[in-house]
Amino acid sequence: MKNYNPDEIFITGLGVTSAIGQGKAAFVSALLQGQHAFAVMQRPGRQSPVSSSEAGEATAFLGAEILSLAIPESLDQKVLRTASFSGQVALVTLDEAWNDANLDEVDPNRIGLVVGGSNVQQRELIQTQEAYQGRLHFLRPIYGMSFMDSDLCGLCTASFGIQGFAYTLGAASASGQIAILQAIQAVQSDQVDICIAMGALTDLSYWECQGFRSLGAMGSDRYSKEPALACRPFDRDRDGFIYGESCGVVVIEGSNSRTRKGVKPYARISAWAMGMDRNRNPNPSLEGEVRVIKKALEQAKLSAKEIDYINPHGTGSLIGDETELQALQHCDLSHAYLNATKSITGHGLSSAGTVEVIATLLQMQEGRLHPTRNLENPIEPSYNWVQRQSVPHAIERAINLSMGFGGVNSAICLQQY
Amino acid sequence: MDKEEIFQMITRHICEVIPELKDHHFQSGDSLKNLGANSIDRSEIVIMTLESLSLKIPLIEIAGVENMGELASILHEKLQSR
Repeated sequence: MKNYNPDEIFITGLGVTSAIGQGKAAFVSALLQGQHAFAVMQRPGRQSPVSSSEAGEATAFLGAEILSLAIPESLDQKVLRTASFSGQVALVTLDEAWNDANLDEVDPNRIGLVVGGSNVQQRELIQTQEAYQGRLHFLRPIYGMSFMDSDLCGLCTASFGIQGFAYTLGAASASGQIAILQAIQAVQSDQVDICIAMGALTDLSYWECQGFRSLGAMGSDRYSKEPALACRPFDRDRDGFIYGESCGVVVIEGSNSRTRKGVKPYARISAWAMGMDRNRNPNPSLEGEVRVIKKALEQAKLSAKEIDYINPHGTGSLIGDETELQALQHCDLSHAYLNATKSITGHGLSSAGTVEVIATLLQMQEGRLHPTRNLENPIEPSYNWVQRQSVPHAIERAINLSMGFGGVNSAICLQQY
Repeated sequence: MDKEEIFQMITRHICEVIPELKDHHFQSGDSLKNLGANSIDRSEIVIMTLESLSLKIPLIEIAGVENMGELASILHEKLQSR
């Protein structure tokens, strides 16, 4: 392994597709204006079919869905026909990041891809299984390969000619950020010159929605008449996360390979950390969160006071939000500006860690911080919240946090370049 | 359903799987492979046609088919004998 300087890792391209906008311009515009897309979800397979015996018990699942997906002409229609919704969104989002970082100029043998997320196509699988129930003989052969998450790797490498490596990884709701960590390590170790990290779109079916709700993780349907109010991270009236479809892609590279025309880093990644709580369950750990924050700050050689913006995990979880604020306080970070991207986008689950790094980079570029929707009564008012309106602020040094079921904690420090 | 109708059904499914063939003038001697259908495409086209015909047959029975005309003939034969 070559000697490396962590200061040499950069993000040079990005792509984002979400319910609030497709492409970085639409995405950041919606973020800064706090424009949401929350509603009772309409995509087929998102609401449980109601039998007559269950009438009256059915609950609405709320979330933010991508209403239309613009497909670039460069993508092969034949491939798109058999790609799942997660796969189509992956291709479209990668297309934006690929062009943003001008990757056509790079040796495809030196490009890698890490797709963050596991079980990301559940709704589509359930739809297929229900459609072919009782007539299994006619199940489309493509199902035999498309049911695997790694089909996203196949779709992306075939469409963009990536030849270095590609694989998926799973770390629950931290998958998107862990994909970035893996991509950094692939560049550091000289496995490739450039590594693309993707937080894949988790396509939930009503089964996963019900499971999350039963677990107490997903918000209730008490706001089904006013879905705009349902997603409220860090607010006293929160009662769980609200789902939002999204996919994010970032291009990671070292300083040596950045010689392509028109490519300018969005930011330098000055540190990163991951740690486990030795816990299978969804509950967070103050100690685990503090550990990764401190480790990241130490690696970045930054004091807590030098961090001027925090993009927290902040899902709207009852215990998760409280624990995260305690961790920030414990690490002397309560002075820094703080907002909750999920209050606008919803929780993308596997995509969240990547999409929120992108939100940080775009806020850095715009010199402005987005509001936090529905933060009417913060559970801890003394923090430096960005509440109802966006505020001007030139981010110099930011920290992004991600947590996942099963005791996953991670942190990334991003520095203005 | 006659053999020609089955042939037309096969062409519709080919065009669904390989949209760039929509202007191709299909002939009974055309082989799916030579038309650019890879092995997954070929399986998809066959299963989609069987589904449209509601015809359940072991796939091994059409494994050696050389061209579209032959496929239409075998499927027509199976349909008649059911």
